[in-house]
Amino acid sequence: MTNAVDVRGVSKAFNRGRPDEVRALVDVDLAIEPGEFVSMIGPSGCGKSTALRLMANLLEPTSGDVHVNGKPARKARLDQDYGMAFQQAGLFDWRNVTKNVELPLELKGWDRSRRRERALEMLHLVKLDEFAEHMPWQLSGGMQQRVAIARALAAHPPLLLMDEPFGALDEMTREHMQAELLRICGETSTTVVFVTHSIPEAVYLSTRVVVMSPRPGRITDVIDVDLGPRRDVDTREDPAFFKKITEVREALRGMERASSSEAAGPPQPAGMEDR
Amino acid sequence: MNRSPRALAAMVVAPVAFGIAFVALWEAAVKVLDLQPYFLPPPSAIWREFQANAALIWEATKVSGSNALVGLVIGTVLGVALAFVLSRFRVLNELVTPLAVALNAVPIFVLVALFNNMFSVTSEVPRRLMVTLVVNFIVLVNVAKGLTQVDRTHVELMRSYAASEVAVLRKVRVPNAVPYLFIALKIAAPAAVITAFVSEYFGGSQNGLGSRIVGNIAISKNATAWGYVLGACLLGLAFYLAAVLAERAATPGRPQSAE
Repeated sequence: MTNAVDVRGVSKAFNRGRPDEVRALVDVDLAIEPGEFVSMIGPSGCGKSTALRLMANLLEPTSGDVHVNGKPARKARLDQDYGMAFQQAGLFDWRNVTKNVELPLELKGWDRSRRRERALEMLHLVKLDEFAEHMPWQLSGGMQQRVAIARALAAHPPLLLMDEPFGALDEMTREHMQAELLRICGETSTTVVFVTHSIPEAVYLSTRVVVMSPRPGRITDVIDVDLGPRRDVDTREDPAFFKKITEVREALRGMERASSSEAAGPPQPAGMEDR
Repeated sequence: MNRSPRALAAMVVAPVAFGIAFVALWEAAVKVLDLQPYFLPPPSAIWREFQANAALIWEATKVSGSNALVGLVIGTVLGVALAFVLSRFRVLNELVTPLAVALNAVPIFVLVALFNNMFSVTSEVPRRLMVTLVVNFIVLVNVAKGLTQVDRTHVELMRSYAASEVAVLRKVRVPNAVPYLFIALKIAAPAAVITAFVSEYFGGSQNGLGSRIVGNIAISKNATAWGYVLGACLLGLAFYLAAVLAERAATPGRPQSAE
């Protein structure tokens, strides 16, 4: 079976050969199978967003290989093999909700009626049927983010890449959106790579949590999360859930201790999940 | 943008009341302080002159107004076209934009004196050329900004869709620039009127609002000059309102840019 994402020996440096060179990622290996939900977590500057952008081929690696859907990342991007969502919903103010969802299909050259049909189907999936004709600025932040997810999945890509998509939402909306995302990805059997700062978010959503450390960015731990199907609030109150949260937190702490003994830098605040 | 009738009334009533009070105070000040007509004529006298000379003022308004309009249209078209070229070639943009901004800061009206030299004395071309230049800079700078300052997320999204440069231009850059065009027009429309009649101060035909104001002051017909000033104000206001209405028509329901 082809891996959904295959990252092999990837390093990424910015401003190479200059005094301000930054080694964003060093020797990263990661294989993600279809159907997985993988979160990447770590403090700011650990290169998790860079890793996601390498998978999306928005950046090219300095060395190593990135394959998506069994193809080189560039080919996968040109074939629109993935959908993407960012912290900013990034909706186009001059297009109504339906037209926003239609955009990737428009660029694929779909005809009008087929586009519209698919867009309405996607809006039904994210439960925004009544808002099809609304303009983006008439929607709340959570609703805008749902439109962004509908747009990312409009072409039915097998892979969804998400960069802190719920980072700007309040806690209540955020938990609701997490449950919705699991439902949507379950219904569409989409593989997800999800970048986040939040430990509970990573644990609640994922089948695997990838823990990363900064300067230079590398993977320090991969934690399997087996909480079964999570559809209800009960999961968040399950002792097994808390146990996993502790495990991820310990992994982040351990890496912190290691790096602070190396570099003797100021200790990182413990509450990094709030950032 | 749906204002309640009450809010709308408050929005209209307050400035109208202020305007009436201002005119009344002006009239009273002239009477009480016994100001001489050559110093400041009362609004009632200006209004009488405005009515008495309505036909002449209308003729002069048509001359200045058409100069402003021709310059506005050509300047806008040129400005938009140049903005496209500049935003396509980054180097050119970095060369020209600071120059355009700097030129816009100097009182380039004075160029009209030189333009007058190039064309026949009765030609309207120098004035129209002047308006075109002023409008062109305003439109160029704003539209170029709208075409280039695109949301980072939008750029990454379009790249993830494997969109071509042309598709990015059509679906992101151009729609992003539309509000900037209307911001430019709301500045450029009144500026076109001002430029049109200030240009008349530098010689040429004595047929527009600007030259009539100067002409009437020269023969001490102060109240009449003020009548032409009133005409000029109304013309500028008409141009501004036209720009605002064009914006509303082109972007229905969207939050309007700051006015």
